[in-house]
Amino acid sequence: MNVEVVMPKMGESINEGTLIKWHKKKGDKVVKDEIIFEISTDKVDTEIPSPAEGVLNEIKVFEQETVEVGTIVAIISTEGESALPAETVKDEPPSTTQVGGEVVDIPMPKMGESVMEGTITKWFKQVGDKVNKDEIIFEISTDKVDTEVPSPAEGTLIEILLNENETGEVGTIVGRISKTGGLNIPAKVAPAQKTPDEKVFQKSAGEMPSADKFVKISTPEPAQAENRFYSPLVMSIASKEGIGYDELILIPGTGIGGRVSKNDILNYLNIRNTAKIPMASKLQANTESMSAVKRESVDKTSPAGVYSGEVEVIPMDNIRKRIMHHMINSRDTSVHVTAVVEADISKIYNFITANKDRLQQQEGIKLTYMPFITYATIKALKEYPLVNAVIEENKIILKKYINLGIAVAVEPNGLIVPNIKRADDLSIRGLAKSIAQLSSKSRNKGLTPEDIMDGTFTITNYGVFGSLFGTPIINQPEVAILGLGAVTKKPVVVEVDGMDSIAIKPMMYLSLSHDHRLVDGMLGGKFLNSIKNTLEYFDVNLF
Amino acid sequence: MLKEFDIAVLGGGPGGYVAAIRASQLGFKTALIEKDNLGGICLNWGCIPTKSLLKNAEVYDLAKNHADDFGLSFSDLSFDFNKIIKRSRNVSEKITKGVEFLVKKNKIDRIRGFGKIKTKNEIAVYDKDGKETERISAKNIIIATGAKPRILPSIPVDRKRIITSTEAMILPEQPKKMIVIGAGAIGIEFAYFYSVLGTEVTVIEMLDAILPVEDKEVSALLAKSLQKRGIKIHTGTVVESAVPAKDSVSVTISKDGTKDTITADIVLSAVGVTGNVEGFGLEELGVELFKNHIKVDKSTYRTNIDNIYAIGDVIGPPWLAHVASAEGIHCVETIKGLNPHPVNYDSIPGCTYCQPQVASIGFTEQKAKELGYDIKIGKFPYSASGKASAVGEKDGFVKIIFDAKYGELLGAHIIGGEATELIAELGMAKTLEATYESIVKTVHAHPTLSEMIMEAAANAYNESIHI
Repeated sequence: MNVEVVMPKMGESINEGTLIKWHKKKGDKVVKDEIIFEISTDKVDTEIPSPAEGVLNEIKVFEQETVEVGTIVAIISTEGESALPAETVKDEPPSTTQVGGEVVDIPMPKMGESVMEGTITKWFKQVGDKVNKDEIIFEISTDKVDTEVPSPAEGTLIEILLNENETGEVGTIVGRISKTGGLNIPAKVAPAQKTPDEKVFQKSAGEMPSADKFVKISTPEPAQAENRFYSPLVMSIASKEGIGYDELILIPGTGIGGRVSKNDILNYLNIRNTAKIPMASKLQANTESMSAVKRESVDKTSPAGVYSGEVEVIPMDNIRKRIMHHMINSRDTSVHVTAVVEADISKIYNFITANKDRLQQQEGIKLTYMPFITYATIKALKEYPLVNAVIEENKIILKKYINLGIAVAVEPNGLIVPNIKRADDLSIRGLAKSIAQLSSKSRNKGLTPEDIMDGTFTITNYGVFGSLFGTPIINQPEVAILGLGAVTKKPVVVEVDGMDSIAIKPMMYLSLSHDHRLVDGMLGGKFLNSIKNTLEYFDVNLF
Repeated sequence: MLKEFDIAVLGGGPGGYVAAIRASQLGFKTALIEKDNLGGICLNWGCIPTKSLLKNAEVYDLAKNHADDFGLSFSDLSFDFNKIIKRSRNVSEKITKGVEFLVKKNKIDRIRGFGKIKTKNEIAVYDKDGKETERISAKNIIIATGAKPRILPSIPVDRKRIITSTEAMILPEQPKKMIVIGAGAIGIEFAYFYSVLGTEVTVIEMLDAILPVEDKEVSALLAKSLQKRGIKIHTGTVVESAVPAKDSVSVTISKDGTKDTITADIVLSAVGVTGNVEGFGLEELGVELFKNHIKVDKSTYRTNIDNIYAIGDVIGPPWLAHVASAEGIHCVETIKGLNPHPVNYDSIPGCTYCQPQVASIGFTEQKAKELGYDIKIGKFPYSASGKASAVGEKDGFVKIIFDAKYGELLGAHIIGGEATELIAELGMAKTLEATYESIVKTVHAHPTLSEMIMEAAANAYNESIHI
């Protein structure tokens, strides 16, 4: 029997996921609940276990591909035997990353701003040869420079479309690599017959109309978007509002079959008309956040800038892209201002020092400053509920519950903000446990979309990395974020019996970035000072 | 041991049975609970049997009043009222049997009885004596209990002299005089039917036009046509009271402060419908209601209880069979996680099957203006259509409303022969976001009534050829 493995639904609002890694390859045996692949969605990354025991018979979705929830990702044969002929399985390249029958196009790379075409001077590989990723496969000559071009993928070279001494425009497909390594090789391709020069030029002329246009539309793949259908109404709106084709292809579609609907283009117009910033970045933030325009993996595009020294091109992973877009979006949405106070946290410092080992041993609680600061923040949020609000157009939505977000750095380069649900119902001890749980879940990819959704306020602790204070970026759609600086012992002036004297105190900077659209300096200051007071006069009996 | 289901559907109307079939297609183990025949009001007491009655009226009207136009003549033309009613019941019976068969074919557990939700996962089924006959458990419950005629205290329905649409389609004898209260689709269809058969009909409508949801021009032309037929129409008129006597009913009406009393042997109360929300466990479970209907999130049809859904008339307007079916399918596909495209409530066609027929989709001219659209209107009369003249349908028009700025098709209104069939093209055009060009550049067969749609669209841009 065949069992279909589908892209799982990770939460109400999540409609698609990107397959980021296969842990198994075609023909591998899998047992039930064994992790077979990893996905990344808008909200969360997670590992997916096998629904059945058997043999991974077919892989339908490849790494870096984004598909809708419910799409069949793979088929597992539970008969214990692969349905594939034995030889085919043997032909599989010994790799866990390249499996399946994906065909990768090799484009003529862009070697500089003004270079529009290149001539192949030598192919190092023949059709049928195995190639490794980044292995040099051909050599080109342009009017600026001669260079060797590495393979964008591991697999088998299945087609050569541009032969030696032939010239093609930048972006022309010069060859194709099959990631299956063995399947689908056409028997004896005669490259010279297959690609007369004119054909290459005709094709490239359609895709890359002119030099300056190429630069503009190079980010999303225009070729893919050419297949999109636009309704007559959308075309009419586009033409009346001066939306060009290169702009149209960037608008995410929510209509039937992912089409751009009237509402999509009108929403886009709204955003465009209110945008104060250059269109390009706004566009990308918008496009990415709605994640309906599927982008090709970086493999296809070649570096476009001009560099005087050696560079390494690293494709951004999904998490990095999302962080990038969230940050741009927040900067463009909120009017950030940052206020700073310095708090004397002697009481808490002393309490932690005195009780840390005991609590760790007796109750398994790893005591940090976080629960105390979280507690003080919740108290301040209750006192100043406007800081626990969101802005919706001209309305202020006051949230009567506190879902407190804690920013957690995830190695090697991730950042995620899960929140403690109904944090206002918890004691300090409860907060300590919740914080420990969330950070452990974050680091072990155990977060669910619910953990990340509907936060009302965020705390970020850059102090653990030694920073004294920072100006954090608000986690949208919240209106403020509290940053915690490193605790340092400092000489401070204290008043003892009416006399000024100098004492050594553990001090911490607390900075509050707040959205000036809603939270003015007075409120921000009062809020911060409320936290400072709670911390300085902390009643340790509360613990 | 309780029988377990993935989805249990409560109510077998066009919302419920369609949801059940879709659920079964998607691999859910499905139960469909209905105390009566399947098909709901629509197939048993609404859409289908009334269309049968109206066809009788149409044929009779043609023979009686228009035979001469076609060079025909009949002597001793007569009808048997009871046979007309019987034909309607036969049609209904045949269609509902067809639905029973479809349900069986789709391997749905058809449970006959009155279902009552006991807990969020349990339904008890009772027979007509109120005895519990069965109990099932279900992961998801879809409520599709529909609606019933609304009853006003001033118009005390006794189902003999003062009746609802249900009784109106099975009257034992044809009334001589009839008062229809409410000039919506139901009221107008019965007014037309009985009037054609020779009943003296008076229509009373509180709002200022008959078919008040339709475009004003359409309402006006229909009123003129019905009046010509002999129907008396009182718009802007309130019914103060209706008092049944032994063999008549007297109805007191008031218009602009002036009172009047009229009598008839039958009064049909057609003042709208209200959701069936009582007596099957909603109160006990705490399912949230609003204005006698179940409150749902219209992107998922989920109620405030996470595994209980509701669709169709019971969730409120527009109280149409085709909307209920669309919602049922959407609801089940959502449960399956298919992420279906939402039902577009701006593109729901509405039809009234009197003669001339009325059909519309989208905004009326009045509504479009209210919303601030700068509009272009295209009209084409039946009198200018060759096909319409040939088949003797010279009254009516097609009216299409476009947004002047972007050319969006905002609404379309047709009154005249076969209007209810013609509207489909405009529904498709609207769903696919066609502009006037898409309609005008579509080659329409000649001679057809549908050419009028092309001409009306062209007329909006002064490109019509035949006017």
